[in-house]
Amino acid sequence: MSSERRESIRILQGTLDLIVLRTLASMGPQHAYGIATRLQQVSNDSLNLNQGTLYPALVRLGQQGFIKGAWRKTENYREAKYYSITPAGRRALDQETRRWRKLAGLVEQLLATGES
Amino acid sequence: MRHWRRLIAKLHTYFRRESCEQDLDRELRSHLLLLSDEFERRGMDPEQARQAARRAFGSIARAKELSRDAWSLVWLEQAWQDLRHACRSLLHNPGFTLVAIATLALGIGVNSTFFTAYNALALKPLPVADPDHVVRLERWFERGYFGDLQYAFSYPEFIYCRDHNDVFAGLVAASWPIHVFAEIRNDAQSGSIVTENLRGELVSANYFADLGVAAQIGRTFFPDDEHSATPAIVLSDSFWRRRFNGDPLILGRAVVMNRVAVTIVGIAPEKFTGASVALQTPDFWAPLSMQKELSPGHDWRNEPKLMQLQLLARLKASIPLKRAQAEADALIRRFAASYQASDRTKAVTLQHTSFLGNTEDPRFQTVVAALLAIVGLVLLVACANIANMLFARGAARRQEIGVRLALGASRGRVVRHLLTESVLLSLLGGTLGFFLSVWSSKLLWVVIEGILAGPLTGGLIVNVNLSPDIRVFTYTFAISILAAIAFGLSPALRCTKAGLTAAIKDESSVFGSRLTRSRLRSALVAAQVTVSMVLLIVAGLLVRGMIRSQTTVTGLETRRVFLVSAGFGSTPANAAAMQRRVLDRLRMLPAVRNAALGHAPFLGTWTPPIVVQKGHSTLRGRTLASYASDTYFDTLGIALLRGRSFTPQDAAKSARVAVISESAVARFWPGEDPLGQRFQLDLNFRGNLTEFEVIGIVKDVRFANLTRIDPVHVYLPTSATDSYAMLVRAQGDVKTAAESVRAAFRSIDATLLPGMSFVSLEDGPLRIHRSLARLLAMIGTLLAVLAVTLAAVGIYGVMAFLVSQRVKEIGIRVALGATSAEVLKAVVFQGLRPVLIGIAFGIAGAAGLSWLLHTSLSFPGASDLLYGIPFYDPPTFLGLALMLLSIAASASVVPARRALSVDPITALRCQ
Repeated sequence: MSSERRESIRILQGTLDLIVLRTLASMGPQHAYGIATRLQQVSNDSLNLNQGTLYPALVRLGQQGFIKGAWRKTENYREAKYYSITPAGRRALDQETRRWRKLAGLVEQLLATGES
Repeated sequence: MRHWRRLIAKLHTYFRRESCEQDLDRELRSHLLLLSDEFERRGMDPEQARQAARRAFGSIARAKELSRDAWSLVWLEQAWQDLRHACRSLLHNPGFTLVAIATLALGIGVNSTFFTAYNALALKPLPVADPDHVVRLERWFERGYFGDLQYAFSYPEFIYCRDHNDVFAGLVAASWPIHVFAEIRNDAQSGSIVTENLRGELVSANYFADLGVAAQIGRTFFPDDEHSATPAIVLSDSFWRRRFNGDPLILGRAVVMNRVAVTIVGIAPEKFTGASVALQTPDFWAPLSMQKELSPGHDWRNEPKLMQLQLLARLKASIPLKRAQAEADALIRRFAASYQASDRTKAVTLQHTSFLGNTEDPRFQTVVAALLAIVGLVLLVACANIANMLFARGAARRQEIGVRLALGASRGRVVRHLLTESVLLSLLGGTLGFFLSVWSSKLLWVVIEGILAGPLTGGLIVNVNLSPDIRVFTYTFAISILAAIAFGLSPALRCTKAGLTAAIKDESSVFGSRLTRSRLRSALVAAQVTVSMVLLIVAGLLVRGMIRSQTTVTGLETRRVFLVSAGFGSTPANAAAMQRRVLDRLRMLPAVRNAALGHAPFLGTWTPPIVVQKGHSTLRGRTLASYASDTYFDTLGIALLRGRSFTPQDAAKSARVAVISESAVARFWPGEDPLGQRFQLDLNFRGNLTEFEVIGIVKDVRFANLTRIDPVHVYLPTSATDSYAMLVRAQGDVKTAAESVRAAFRSIDATLLPGMSFVSLEDGPLRIHRSLARLLAMIGTLLAVLAVTLAAVGIYGVMAFLVSQRVKEIGIRVALGATSAEVLKAVVFQGLRPVLIGIAFGIAGAAGLSWLLHTSLSFPGASDLLYGIPFYDPPTFLGLALMLLSIAASASVVPARRALSVDPITALRCQ
């Protein structure tokens, strides 16, 4: 445990879906453990992600038809369910990314004017 | 879009539950394995790696739960769960369930019956094609007259409207009922001829066609039926079945009506009972072209002031109602400019059709509102009952609910769970109530028909379709749901309130102090008792009124006076002449003491405005008025007190003289001699006053109706050229009198005989009045008994619960030496406090209600439902209050005694 406090960021459902889609889009097909590991890496461990909380997000994305799962073997011959993004998923990703960016920009603007 | 996909996916998962679970399991295991592989790679041994993996993963159960939440229809599953649980708990408490369902069935059933009747009268459309587009024309008079005349138009108006409009796809006209003599051969070739009086309507040739009614056998009218040699008539289904036993060979049979031959060309369908504002089903329909023969005396075609027709119109499909209404209004008013009307029409509106023509009549609406309030109150009482029972049950389940809340269930979830039980109870009660109402409306109709089809009303045939339809079903369903919310929401909210520790430790029975002070429960009991008291008092007064009505003396001779009616003639002049002939003959019979012409009592009232000039002031008011021939007062047995009665010369000269009743003297000329005084009457309601001179005073009688002595009554002489009702007073044996009257008729004109009816005032009009009183008393008593039963059951339930909560306290008291009587007194008195409050409010409410009724009955012809019993009648009020109190007391004593019989040691130990 280092002395600096790790501020954990809580994440909303919808944002988690977005992150998972982005990860799949850039990494290609990946299993749940892989996605979790990747997220931890990218965020320098500040993402407070209980590994189990990924699963409902995966179920939701699957229900909406944005990802598809298939059982395959890993490099170590363990079986795992690999998820890949679908064309519909890519379109949703674009849309959500644009929306997120717009929202983030707006919030940033408001906060900036507040500060000065 | 996303939501739909998710919904479909969720439904998909619902059916593949097992395999989804297994898949998730497999995936989680694989995840864990991968994690522990990673840890092993970092140098841990397999066992440690596995444990580390589990720790790193977090809660597997939670992951599974979250996934399940994501893939299932949560609300559906929860609802299904709640339903199953509700069923189980209801089955486990059969006593409570049965009582609750029975209570709800009664409360909802009463409401459903009321709505069935209202639906049949006011909401069901006419049995014509596309009834939403058929409207009735209604006119509004400048002087504000309300009533049937608002639907009356004249033939020239009809033609003008028909030819000059472009908003109606068709305009039809139908007359009010007309009476004809019919001679019908019993057999096509050679049977005997039977003559009878028939009732029919004259309609325009396009009546059936434009209304969209097709004959069930034969045909309806063609446009050229107007000009054919033997005009056609169409019979109604009820007449066809009654008179001809539904014989299909009747088609083409010739019938002679008023000496004119007509042919039966068709039978109307069973459901079509006419479209008139008059409720009776006519026996036949005939074309308007036959008006001169079938309803002689006036020429409808050419008299614009003779308002004899009701107009119905079918709107063109694309025309909105407002536009059609504006056009009809303009047309009628434009036509009105062409002649001088007695009361100008200021507006014409179009009204949607229903069985009862005039549903905007304020009297009808008041009755409906009053009935709705009453049945609503009964339902409220039932709901209050069940709410109390649920409070009690909720208190018993506090432990269970406390545990659920502590384990994390949200309050809303638990409330929803409890509400499911209420809704289930309510729907079950509602279904039972629906069937009850179907059965009871049939019963009610049989009773009403029995009253209507008496000998005087000539077999009044009114066919009301009381069968339940989708509207009744929806209403019952809606009422059930509302009731469920009414009685279920408050207990559910209360039971789930915070205070978990107390609930779990079951400290709720701390000497009952917190609970007995439950104000809501007491208020509910008090409210139930109030409603029951009001209904009981109203019923009690009605019953006393009914008893009085059976024994009231009218002041007239009713048993020996007979109303003789026959078709005296086809024109007014003929009828008048024939009546005079018959009258003279009858008066000569030995079995007849006297006979007279004039208005018949108990058959409706005529109340023209009266004006009396006294010096400088003018007294105005309304008075009952009747026509009386010279022998009238003797025939009816009305005593002449002063002055003289009418003479035949008065009738011949049309003298403007009058005989008035005692109370008229007291009202207009108190302390003076009224003989020779003058007053004025507005005979035709048109503002033209006619002056009369008082020549005699008669005793007060109950002429207008049975319920009160006439407030003011004025008798006017008959004129020689009008026909009136004929009254005959028998002398000696009634049967011989009837026979000799019949013989007299036969000797004058044998054709009069078949249409003649001979009914005593006692058996005819009075019987109807008395039956109505009986009916009202019966219904009132039924409702009151219902309300009292519900209240008693409610009080019993509440007391049983209260006592069960105080068992500990009672045990301690008994152990400390209190006698049973003392404990009983304490418990019962406390329980009866809300009852006493309820009774007090109930008495006040009932007194107020009957005072209201009393003051609104000042109109001369209005009925006093209480038959003169004062509205604050002490015996009724006190007696019923005591009765209710004793019922409540006994309902309270039973559970209290049961509690006392329990061994104190057991009571102390019991929770």
